[in-house]
Amino acid sequence: MRATLATMQSRLNATPHLLRLGRLFSETVLLEVDGAEYYLTFRDGRLEQIAEGPSRKTPWRFALRTDAEALAQFWQPLPKPGFHDLFGLVKIGRGRIDGDILTLVKNLRFFKEFMALARPEPRTEDLA
Amino acid sequence: MSFEPITGRYLTVTIQGRRQRIYVETAGEGTPVLCLHTAGADTRQWRHILNDAGLTASHRFFAFDMPWHGKSLPPEGFQTEEYLLTTDAYMETVLAVAAALGLDRPILAGCSMGGRIALQLAALHADRFSGFIAIEASDFQPAWYDIDWFHRPDAHGGEMGAALVSANISPHAPDAERWNTLWMFMQSGPGVFRGDLSFYTRDDSLIGRLARIDTTRTPVHLLVGAYDLTCTPEDARRTAAAISGATCTVMEELGHFPMSEHPAAFRPFFAEALARMEVPADV
Repeated sequence: MRATLATMQSRLNATPHLLRLGRLFSETVLLEVDGAEYYLTFRDGRLEQIAEGPSRKTPWRFALRTDAEALAQFWQPLPKPGFHDLFGLVKIGRGRIDGDILTLVKNLRFFKEFMALARPEPRTEDLA
Repeated sequence: MSFEPITGRYLTVTIQGRRQRIYVETAGEGTPVLCLHTAGADTRQWRHILNDAGLTASHRFFAFDMPWHGKSLPPEGFQTEEYLLTTDAYMETVLAVAAALGLDRPILAGCSMGGRIALQLAALHADRFSGFIAIEASDFQPAWYDIDWFHRPDAHGGEMGAALVSANISPHAPDAERWNTLWMFMQSGPGVFRGDLSFYTRDDSLIGRLARIDTTRTPVHLLVGAYDLTCTPEDARRTAAAISGATCTVMEELGHFPMSEHPAAFRPFFAEALARMEVPADV
């Protein structure tokens, strides 16, 4: 998971339109995968830090909790129904979103496209 | 010069006592089909159907922008109003436009909230239509989101709405049409998507009316995309099961905006739905 997040971090840095969309996004997001915590700290649209938990002291703005198998399906080039979107994971009971959801919604395109950066051969215009 | 076959015109109708200038597109010759767009969008969702020579050879399609949407202006005085679509206003709008166009019992094809109102009209005003194609339509779904997210002074409702509805687009959709579909939501006027969702997520009056629909007189066919998270295949099947004689087809590689997000994949399902609207003369 750590390696995948690092790949996403470098792909984000190489994706100008996402850096532009995220230029006002400076928040910490908790990604929880099978109970393992990853605190993703974004600053001005760049993923500045990936810190592994557990931590009771790290504040976060919103959290996405899911499992590795669901994320693997989400990262398929043509995911099956429900696995094709973060809210789809929630709908089929394989994900949960907590915290300041309005902040997520205000930055929804940015965060969805960031989370999709682990898909193989990403086409930057096709990651919503 | 090579114009597309679609023609756009304006007409003015009175809806709930107020004049509304409505933008209408039309193409084709033959059996009339009136097409309704989804919440937060406009007639452009139907452009691939209206440009389809195979379909327009036998059908005359009409699609119009609801008031406040697309090229239809909001009514006079809108600047101090809160736009909230209602079932009554929506039905009156469809009936008024059909009458103004002089349509004789057209087929009604609506998607999402357009499909919802098509089923309401099937229950309450079936005599005005010859059949109903309800796409991504169901009896009712409450919102899992806060519709107020999409109309606030500190964020762009259109961009947020587009990002939200992207969840309902199939990954099989071509990029160009995915983004054309989302662009309409990005362009939606302030508060319009919210006002449409108010109708879509709060009015459950259709549930009790489904049993009134008489499919022996007006066929009802539901189409639903497997990637639709808003109106799932389960939602559409439940709705079809509550209408005696209604049929339902699941479109495996499509989402909530099939005619717009993936026109080529939608076309055979829509052609089949049109064929199902042909009722034998002795019925």
